[in-house]
Amino acid sequence: MLGRTIFIDPGRCIGCQACVSACRECDSHRGKSMIHLDYPDEGRTVASLPTVCMHCEDPVAPCAEVCPAEAILITADGVVQEADPTRCIGCANCVNACPFGVPKIDLEAKLQMKCNLCYDRTSYGLAPMCATVCPTGALFYGTVEELQAERPGVDVSTMFAFGDTVVSTGVAMVVSGERRAPVPGGTLNLIEVNGRPTPGNGARA
Amino acid sequence: MSHEYVPLDPSVAPLGTRDFRDAGGLPAAAWRADQTEQTLVPTHCCFCGVQCGMYLRVDGHGKVFGVEPRNHDINRMRLCPKGINAYQQVNHPDRLTAPLMRRSRDEEFREVSWEEALDFTVAEIHRIQAEHGRDAFGMLGGASLFSEKTYLVGKFARVALKTRHVDYNGRLCMVSAAGANKLAFGIDRAGNPFSDMLQTDCLLIAGANVGECFPVLTQYVWGARDRGATLIVVDPRETAVARTADIHVALKSGTDSAFFNAVLHVIVEEGLTDEAFLAEHATGWAEVKATVKEYPPARAAEICGVPEEQIVQVARMFGRAERAMACHARGIEHHTQGVENCLTVINLCAATGNLGRPGAGYGTLTGQGNGQGGREHGQKSDLLPGGRSINDPVHRRQISAIWGIEESELPQAGTSMMEMVWQMQRHEIRGLIGVCNNPFVSLPNYAVVKDGYDKLEFHAQLDFFLSETAANAHVVFPVTTWAEDEGVMANAEARVIKHNKAQEPPAGVRTDTWVMCELARRLGEGGKFAFEGSKDVFDELRRASAGTVIDYYGITYDRLEATGGIVWPCPSLEHPGTPRLFEDGRTYHPDGKVHLQVVEWRPPADPYSDEFPMRLTTGRTVAHFLSGNQTRRLGGLVEQTPRPWVEIHPSHGFRNGEPVRVVTRRGSEVLPALVTEAIRPDHVFVPYHWPYPTAANALTIDALDPRSKIPEYKVCAVRIERAEAIDPVPAPPVPPGREPYPEAQVSRTDPLPPTSPQGRGTAERG
Amino acid sequence: MAGTAPPPQGRPTGGGPTGDGAAGVVASATRSTAARASLIAAAAGVLLVVAIVLGSRLLRDFDSALVPYAVATVFLTFGVVHRYVVWVSAPAARRLFTQGWKAALSWENLKRSPAALPKMIATYLGFQKFLGARSHARWAAHQLIFWGCLLAAAITFPLTWGWFTFTSAGAAGPGYEMRLWGFKLFGFDSGSFLGWALYHGLDLAAVMVIGGAGYFLWRRMRDRAATTGQRFGYDFLPLLALITISVTGLLLTFSEMFLHGGGYEFLAVLHMASVVLTLVYLPFGKFFHIVQRPAAVGMQLFKYTARRQGPDAEELRSCRRCGQPIDTVAAVDNLRATMRDLRLGFDEWAEYCPRCKRVLRGTAYLSNVKRGFK
Repeated sequence: MLGRTIFIDPGRCIGCQACVSACRECDSHRGKSMIHLDYPDEGRTVASLPTVCMHCEDPVAPCAEVCPAEAILITADGVVQEADPTRCIGCANCVNACPFGVPKIDLEAKLQMKCNLCYDRTSYGLAPMCATVCPTGALFYGTVEELQAERPGVDVSTMFAFGDTVVSTGVAMVVSGERRAPVPGGTLNLIEVNGRPTPGNGARA
Repeated sequence: MSHEYVPLDPSVAPLGTRDFRDAGGLPAAAWRADQTEQTLVPTHCCFCGVQCGMYLRVDGHGKVFGVEPRNHDINRMRLCPKGINAYQQVNHPDRLTAPLMRRSRDEEFREVSWEEALDFTVAEIHRIQAEHGRDAFGMLGGASLFSEKTYLVGKFARVALKTRHVDYNGRLCMVSAAGANKLAFGIDRAGNPFSDMLQTDCLLIAGANVGECFPVLTQYVWGARDRGATLIVVDPRETAVARTADIHVALKSGTDSAFFNAVLHVIVEEGLTDEAFLAEHATGWAEVKATVKEYPPARAAEICGVPEEQIVQVARMFGRAERAMACHARGIEHHTQGVENCLTVINLCAATGNLGRPGAGYGTLTGQGNGQGGREHGQKSDLLPGGRSINDPVHRRQISAIWGIEESELPQAGTSMMEMVWQMQRHEIRGLIGVCNNPFVSLPNYAVVKDGYDKLEFHAQLDFFLSETAANAHVVFPVTTWAEDEGVMANAEARVIKHNKAQEPPAGVRTDTWVMCELARRLGEGGKFAFEGSKDVFDELRRASAGTVIDYYGITYDRLEATGGIVWPCPSLEHPGTPRLFEDGRTYHPDGKVHLQVVEWRPPADPYSDEFPMRLTTGRTVAHFLSGNQTRRLGGLVEQTPRPWVEIHPSHGFRNGEPVRVVTRRGSEVLPALVTEAIRPDHVFVPYHWPYPTAANALTIDALDPRSKIPEYKVCAVRIERAEAIDPVPAPPVPPGREPYPEAQVSRTDPLPPTSPQGRGTAERG
Repeated sequence: MAGTAPPPQGRPTGGGPTGDGAAGVVASATRSTAARASLIAAAAGVLLVVAIVLGSRLLRDFDSALVPYAVATVFLTFGVVHRYVVWVSAPAARRLFTQGWKAALSWENLKRSPAALPKMIATYLGFQKFLGARSHARWAAHQLIFWGCLLAAAITFPLTWGWFTFTSAGAAGPGYEMRLWGFKLFGFDSGSFLGWALYHGLDLAAVMVIGGAGYFLWRRMRDRAATTGQRFGYDFLPLLALITISVTGLLLTFSEMFLHGGGYEFLAVLHMASVVLTLVYLPFGKFFHIVQRPAAVGMQLFKYTARRQGPDAEELRSCRRCGQPIDTVAAVDNLRATMRDLRLGFDEWAEYCPRCKRVLRGTAYLSNVKRGFK
């Protein structure tokens, strides 16, 4: 099912942002970083979460589906490309439709940009820049067999639940052993976040 | 909703999705990768003691323009954010390209010719030494220099300047571990290579924020755990590695020796010691055993502020492991008890027989790139090349013969770096040459340091950016970066690796080697400094180290280029090097035994009081390196972590980003609060890479370990108060008439603390 | 150690006329869309033929030597309209198409901000400001191609349709008259500057296009940002086509002026072939962006006018977790409707900003999957 792809293990991530700097070194978008690094447990722990494009397979690339300009192409091997600059009109539909929060947008240039799994490197047989440099292996590039050879007993999942919808992806996340349920995409309708009310639930404007 | 002017173009997009500013490491045009040809030059990172391999990408014009991961067996292609951005220093607009000079500090620097700067320097050396004696002129080196240059610093000071006052910034870094290693083992280096971590059953990390200070080592830590090892982390802060450890001991800073004594107490109580190993390979065990008897877990729990059971758990986990390894870094070394803290860890390893086997051993994680190599070949005040002692008559004769001087001409031992600053205050040292260091940020108690340096009648500094210290000097010599010269470094494993030259230095820039040799020539000692380049120096270094414990004789440039690194001792050209020490059970003491040392816990130097009830601890963040003179100029790193902060526990009632005044007996400053549960409530943390007035080292105490003379950076008494306005971060200094490369400085004025100690999340950038 | 890299192996597929983005549309809908598109496109083609016949005064002014060009424009019209209809039938494009035209045709909007639409047309379609934000060099090169092509089209299309005619004012004079649909527009002297400019307009256009396309071709060879994933058919063919048309066009002038017509016929055939093929290819490759780009104006006008709804309207949708603005209310609602059309069941997530989506996922991972290493 899974070919050579990126495996993400936030449990190993030390939040150093080597991936963020490395992404900037990619020749296809030199100086601009596409990867996201968040500290979701801010104020409590130093836990961190790297986010690359998950290259959704089913439904296939929601970003491409909601694109009014047919600007996002998908390669035969399932890589969802960044927007074609000649077509992209900068409407940001993809930015807000992506359930993983991946695409970025340059409104002045009317151009979306996002992780394309380092097409410039993978097509030469190299691993993507972020997974090459990741000091911890939180971003790993290879096959699931290669991953499990290095890390005995790890399991991976490509299913993510957003409410009732399950999105299956081309990029996988490491899960704790024999997990069968999809990885949760998060819980909406929050009344509180870290003990503070959310907007619309009594938070100060 | 407001109804002000709505621009026609563009519209709104969510926070963090528009972060498209080029990070500004190089002038924007240079980012465009229109290179169809490139050469990859294999070399290593210029930053920390891991010494990751990397390729520098060199374009058709011979200029370094990028980096490519290198599958070197230290790092296996992994790099941290500092390493990835390191190449941007090479052709950075802030580079110094002409000597700067002024006759008094009231004047502004002006660019002068090399001739004029060298003449003035030599005249000042002559004047000061004639009026006040040879020892009134001092020299301070650095541990980010290639080993050849550190060797030259020691030789230059003693042979050309003929002064006893030479020391280096490794004094702020590695000396406690060095002292402990020498005492216990008679050899000063880590016992095991990094790769031994992969074979251990229990890894104990004490006072090392591996995830931020040695990020690339994390792969070894995780690799160990993948193979079933347990992980114990001892750190007052819940760092990225501590967060997920099997046991995280969040002890109070400055209580390490009490903790490790108590762990050893439990190990003895529960019969987990390796008595056979101790009987055969150690001395002093009876005394150590008697001492740790006085440290039951209950007592240590009280001192350290940790649960009693945790001490027992650590003892069992470490003591029962078939193979256990302990690593430590500045967290236990930066103390007035630094040497002793390291000794308690050595005692623990020796008592459980964990030495000299694959996966069983001990090591310090050196901080600076050449932290290991920089302390080996004679730029330390009491050492001569090959780790020889300057107090030993035999060693003195050997080195005098190699250097071609009379033994009587060789100066005696000098004083440590901080002590030299005190001597500057007392006018005992009136002139100084500094190479590759930035004490205005890196030494404790900034007020004292500034005063000491201000009292200097003459101060020359060698650097490639104008550091805060250099900006206070009389003469600044522009020298090369690591990519513009070749040389060796020894990483934290004592693996000697070679850095290769990737490009020619910019016009007007010379190598440190050339500057020291030229100064020596003008001081009338040119014959002893007839070095064409690093290779000549290295050949003399090899000969000078031959036959000592730190034997480099068998290491040559050719062998290094062919192998990717050789671990000393390496006494002959056929010798494969010695990655793991003590495999035959013998240490480097004449009796071949581990000399266990008794350690009693002592409280830190700065006493707590009602006025200063909390503990301040300082340290690094992943995006910056030491005094920040390099990393505070690299756009991507400034963007990741633009400014220092004060990390405090939520129980103090501050909100994130609020101004907090941090007050110690030596100074105070206002920093934004990073409120997190990942720090003990009785501690605050401030990272130290920024200069006054946002310098952590304006707060720290200049108390020294009596043996290693390391300052107590890691703990002092502090209080926090509400404040009005946050102190702004000053721009990095540049010569008059220039401005720091603006693209790289864009985020510097952000008043907020980073999202997490590792930096700002990618969506939190302005 | 050193060296240049081999060319990339993998190539993106797709990008053809069916549009890869419309995967959610079921087959029967695709069929009916195709039928509708063919019908409308055929009507447009017929309309053009009628316009040509009428505009050339019932073919009196029609130059039979230009028939292939005229036929190509008819095919072009059919292709473009067909492709356009298919394109705007997909859910995302259809909704934006509707919203864009609504905004453009709204009397309210015109009253409130009369200058908005013309300004946007000028900056986005004419001067292409957004390209300047991508790269100044690319902007300059694109402007050369754009204005060059526009000039060439403005001259040649009416000529091939027989709409423009140039007639001598007298029996033997340098004086000429320019006529549109048979009506005299103005007269000029063939030796005058205007005469020279009219005569050499296409040469000027060719020089502009060669300059711009040459730059892009050079970039496609050198710049690693451009060479990544580039495809011959999509990225090189349009540039080569433009350069071929321009060079053969210039050679025609050269032949006429300096070679007394030597090789003229061969060049004329070559030029015509390249033009005809380019026109027929236009709806299917990179050139279709010419037809698509106005959607940027519709999109921008839709977002702009949504923010000028008057003091009581809620302009911006804020993230339901962090409260930071995401986009205009209308745009987010439009997106959610699009997502529902496409049966993407997580449209509610569009009301959270991307950072909060990631943080929510990160927290859920920490609490439900694993907290740390294990």
